[in-house]
Amino acid sequence: DDHKLSKEELEEKYTTSISKGLTSARAAEILARDGPNALTPPKSTPEIIKFLKQMVGGFSILLWVGALLCWIAFGIQLAQGVASAFDNLYLGVVLALVVILTGIFAYYQEAKSTNIMASFSKMIPQQALVIRDGEKKEVPAEQLVVGDIVEIKGGDRIPADIRLIFSQGCKVDNSSLTGESEPQSRSCDFTHENPLETKNIAFYSTTCLEGTATGMVINTGDHTIIGRIASLASGVGNEKTPIAIEIEHFVHIVAGVAVSIGVLFFIIAVSMKYKVLDSIIFLIGIIVANVPEGLLATVTVSLSLTAKRMAKKNCLVKNLEAVETLGSTSIICSDKTGTLTQNRMTVAHLWFDDQIYSADTTQSFDQSSQSWATLSKIVTLCNRAEFKPGQENVPIMKRVVVGDASETALLKFAEVILGDVMGIRKRNRKLAEIPFNSTNKFQLSIHETEDPNDKRFLLVMKGAPERILERCSTIMINGEEQPLDRERAEAFQTAYMELGGLGERVLGFCHLYLPEDEFPDTYPFDTDSMNFPTSNLCFVGLLSMIDPPRSTVPDAVSKCRSAGIKVIMVTGDHPITAKAIAKSVGIISANSETVEDIAKRLNVPVEQVNKQDARAAVINGMELKDMTAEQLDEILINHSEIVFARTSPQQKLIIVEGCQRQVNQGGDGPCHLNPTVFQDAVVAVTGDGVNDSPALKKADIGIAMGIAGSDAAKNAADMILLDDNFASIVTGVEEGRLIFDNLKKTIAYTLTKNIAELCPFLIYIIASIPLPIGTITILFIDLGTDIIPSVALAYEKAESDIMNRRPRHKKKDRLVNEQLAVYSYLQIGILQSIGAFLAYFTVYAEQGWLPNTLLGLRVNWEDDYYNDIEDSYGQEWTRYQRTYLQWSGYTAFFVSITIQQVADLIIRKTRRNSIFQQGLLRNKVIWVGIFSQIAIALILCYGLGSVTALNFTPLRVQYWFVAMPYAILIWVYDEIRKLFIRQYPGSK
Amino acid sequence: MARGKAKEGDGNWKKFIWNSEKKEFLGRTGGSWFKILLFYLIFYGCLAGIFIGTIQVMLLTISEFEPKYQDRVAPPGLTVIPRVLKTEVSFRMADPKTYEEYVAGLNKFLKNYDNDQQANSIEFDDCPDEPGDYINRGPFNNDQGQKKVCRFRRDWLGNCSGMLDSSYGYKDGKPCVVVKLNRILGFKPKPPTNDSLPPGMMGKYNPYVLPVHCFAKKEEDVDKIGTIEYYGMAGYAGFPLQYYPYYGKLLQPKYLQPLMAVQFTNLTYDTEVRVECKVYGENIGYSDKDRFQGRFEVKFDIKSS
Repeated sequence: DDHKLSKEELEEKYTTSISKGLTSARAAEILARDGPNALTPPKSTPEIIKFLKQMVGGFSILLWVGALLCWIAFGIQLAQGVASAFDNLYLGVVLALVVILTGIFAYYQEAKSTNIMASFSKMIPQQALVIRDGEKKEVPAEQLVVGDIVEIKGGDRIPADIRLIFSQGCKVDNSSLTGESEPQSRSCDFTHENPLETKNIAFYSTTCLEGTATGMVINTGDHTIIGRIASLASGVGNEKTPIAIEIEHFVHIVAGVAVSIGVLFFIIAVSMKYKVLDSIIFLIGIIVANVPEGLLATVTVSLSLTAKRMAKKNCLVKNLEAVETLGSTSIICSDKTGTLTQNRMTVAHLWFDDQIYSADTTQSFDQSSQSWATLSKIVTLCNRAEFKPGQENVPIMKRVVVGDASETALLKFAEVILGDVMGIRKRNRKLAEIPFNSTNKFQLSIHETEDPNDKRFLLVMKGAPERILERCSTIMINGEEQPLDRERAEAFQTAYMELGGLGERVLGFCHLYLPEDEFPDTYPFDTDSMNFPTSNLCFVGLLSMIDPPRSTVPDAVSKCRSAGIKVIMVTGDHPITAKAIAKSVGIISANSETVEDIAKRLNVPVEQVNKQDARAAVINGMELKDMTAEQLDEILINHSEIVFARTSPQQKLIIVEGCQRQVNQGGDGPCHLNPTVFQDAVVAVTGDGVNDSPALKKADIGIAMGIAGSDAAKNAADMILLDDNFASIVTGVEEGRLIFDNLKKTIAYTLTKNIAELCPFLIYIIASIPLPIGTITILFIDLGTDIIPSVALAYEKAESDIMNRRPRHKKKDRLVNEQLAVYSYLQIGILQSIGAFLAYFTVYAEQGWLPNTLLGLRVNWEDDYYNDIEDSYGQEWTRYQRTYLQWSGYTAFFVSITIQQVADLIIRKTRRNSIFQQGLLRNKVIWVGIFSQIAIALILCYGLGSVTALNFTPLRVQYWFVAMPYAILIWVYDEIRKLFIRQYPGSK
Repeated sequence: MARGKAKEGDGNWKKFIWNSEKKEFLGRTGGSWFKILLFYLIFYGCLAGIFIGTIQVMLLTISEFEPKYQDRVAPPGLTVIPRVLKTEVSFRMADPKTYEEYVAGLNKFLKNYDNDQQANSIEFDDCPDEPGDYINRGPFNNDQGQKKVCRFRRDWLGNCSGMLDSSYGYKDGKPCVVVKLNRILGFKPKPPTNDSLPPGMMGKYNPYVLPVHCFAKKEEDVDKIGTIEYYGMAGYAGFPLQYYPYYGKLLQPKYLQPLMAVQFTNLTYDTEVRVECKVYGENIGYSDKDRFQGRFEVKFDIKSS
């Protein structure tokens, strides 16, 4: 309520003195009580917790269980004196290492991306000029306390919430708080009940644009308005990203399969009279075989690769998982200013001599007219904006200007057409000036003329067209002053309406040569008493300006449309402007109408129009205020092209929530689900102001502007657009969809070999054959040969036109669906397994153990003291000879899986297209993957074949080719499947 | 996600298992399930066919008479009979129950060496009673039918044959073990040159015998090991060469590999004595990893009371 109090009451309330300020002692006291004047940073999770989370997330729990079981088995076997007990110890250690290493890796990745963000939020400490003990002092803004008297001047950031006591032409930019980009004047007068609206309060973190002011601090730190919004933002919980949900879903599926198969076979093993300890060891093997240990790391790498790629395209991704979220976006709520438009006012049209001219860079209008000469003079002279010095070599449109947006536009316009504006101004010396203010809505200046023979002064004025017209009695037509009669006035009105209807900001210009006799050389012009005429002027013309849309945006919007993404514009601008921009970028397409348009066309009241007929809608913030959630839903459902104009930032949150209630029709087929149950739209929201942060947080993906965005917005967002360009979002969407497709391929690739790793254990238990592949060998596949190829799939180019699909349905189009799992597990996986088994049986048979001998052999085979087991030829084998052969079997099985994974990699490149259509050479990284895979296998087999603990042996060269026919079979089978898919699409 | 709270409800699960509207069980109609199952039946049928086919093709490349590779099984292991857990022979002289397991193992193994098992002169060949050179019996195929095998008389093992002492010396605390060289098809062991033998074995050198020698594994056991008696063909402590090469299970189903026996007649009782036996030969190898290749280890723990 401080804005209602008088100065004296304020002094009393805060026990301070306006002239002398607080005493240092008192200030210190209050500082101790209230704490520093800074926003509490959002609570960040302690690093150790983050680290531990990585250690127990995903499959880690399962692997920890595996490791623990290993150690238990080791303990028991050690007590029993079993010679091979240490194998279990090693395996447990290896499993633990795998978990820890992948955990560290994931943590490192996350920390890296967090660090990028941290650099954004670093701010330079701010100083404030404060009166304490009767003296002016510079203190860090953090130390301000309630009751301090601070002085601010143009360019300062307001250091706290301040009640103004003294103000001289003070204007503040509240855009970071309210989204209004217009500078707002500030005075000492109480003008509004609402503290947010009243003029005598300036808010923390907003900027003072011009003028000076003195004020008393009334709120500091988190108690300020901005602090309250910031805490509101942190109150909106961070929602899980779709990809996080997908990965969780996937982990659940795989873990479920692993645990249930594990337990099932544990029970089978126990009931087959295996020892419980042996059964536990089987259980470990089954778990290890089932869990794709390397996959989560692969996913992280793929995501960060995409994030890097996106950063190159100006989308900086804060949260890796947000990469994919963008791909599943179904609604984008975009800001207008700066995102869809260039955030640069430009003169668009002129009106003089009763005619509208376009001000396009092509100088198509009649510059010979005397009226134009006059108009251009007014434009040049009645303008306070100036180029910053030292930019002579910079193109005019890119020069930095001191002055507000409209004046800048006019200055650049004049400079382009006339050249040397500053020279003209110098020759027409300015004698007096009244700057623009919102009460009289005009700007006026008086100049000497450059003609030395003409001793008259020139009075030039610009401002709101209707106000300017009021002050005129004549109008200039073709250089002649003519009386301003009704007809002329109507022509003016028509032009004004037409330009306004284009959403452009229109300014009127007029002038008057002051009679020499009345205003001699020495006449003292006084702007306060206005001792010069300000009426009966001569109207010269109109100029209209607009913030033009970015050139790439219309294309991007149409891409969105074909990709099934709804683009909604949310802006604080006037509805007409908003609609004009929306039309020009295609958010409202050329042939669609709003309810109002239809009403106008049919000449009926708005109420009678069937709302279903209108595709487009322009909703005013005032209407939105009175709407219920249901009404908002209705609008969002009924209209496909929506513009929200004059919205307050708080309403943005309401709009986002409304959008999130929408049903995403996603997927290929129609959606039969009940819309009230499923709320699936994935909503992306752009924002730059502090006040946008709740909406950014609430959105499924918040996109902050890198150039115009405030720190708070960047903090709340998941992604930052470095160039503020809407088109970059669309690029992001494309990348996001691509990564989803590619992750699907990666997962399919990874899951396939899990069956080939699992089957050996199952057959081992059921048929009692010597173990075909060891647990450690499995880890070498999962974390060795398979890693690079699965990352390589992330480089796969988009298959079909990825942007012509509807957005992914969050609940229906899963990362891992039934088809993918079944096809990988039950078809390709089984094929792979039998290919590997062929190699296994070949190795054993060629060494003397024919397949029939192997069945049921397990118990004797694994007996440490049975040193003369007969093979099929009657030869006798010692335990170690058998073990060594078993390792050869492991190696052959491993090599076969690797060879077949090459085929798997090639078939996973495409989901529908034949490999011949996609081309084998387009993704070179795939080849790197294949070569690395084979190279790693060669190194393991021949290089490390002598390291006992790894269980690899140098393998005869021909065994590398045993599984080759199966690799070819996999490929042929998949080509046939894809052929069927292309021939009969949509069948289940 | 706050709006994820829209519950999918328990009803959906039931509906998933049996959807009465669409007559769907687990998301598929009966017809659909039938088609799917038929597909997998055919699919797996084909796979099984392909697998068996490829296995058969692989087996065609392998001879039934000799294995393609033997690099994993050679050089041969040296096996001790009876087969004992943890290579520990531990018994009480006074209590037959404590060694009956060993005796049974020996009896079972030596049964094949009984004379009546070797009567058939179609299968058995009268080889010389003195160690002689390898006996080559032609190529590894059945063009000439089955190959004959040399007889090996159990009584050559003397006190350890079980024919004189049915407890193989265990009841007297003088345990016997029988030693054999693991069979390897076509393997021709080469006896060592005389000078490569450890001292103490020089005396009984025969160029046609692959000698075996036992000694204390550890330095401190040297005194505890006592006298060691060796039994074998013609008193040679080793494997005579005329039994080699082995022609495989198919061509020599009755093959008897040469044996030799070792008796420890003066072991120190009531303490652990570790003994290692080694076979010597030019193509016999030893390995740190495989402790049964060309040698074996036995730990004796005989309790006198």
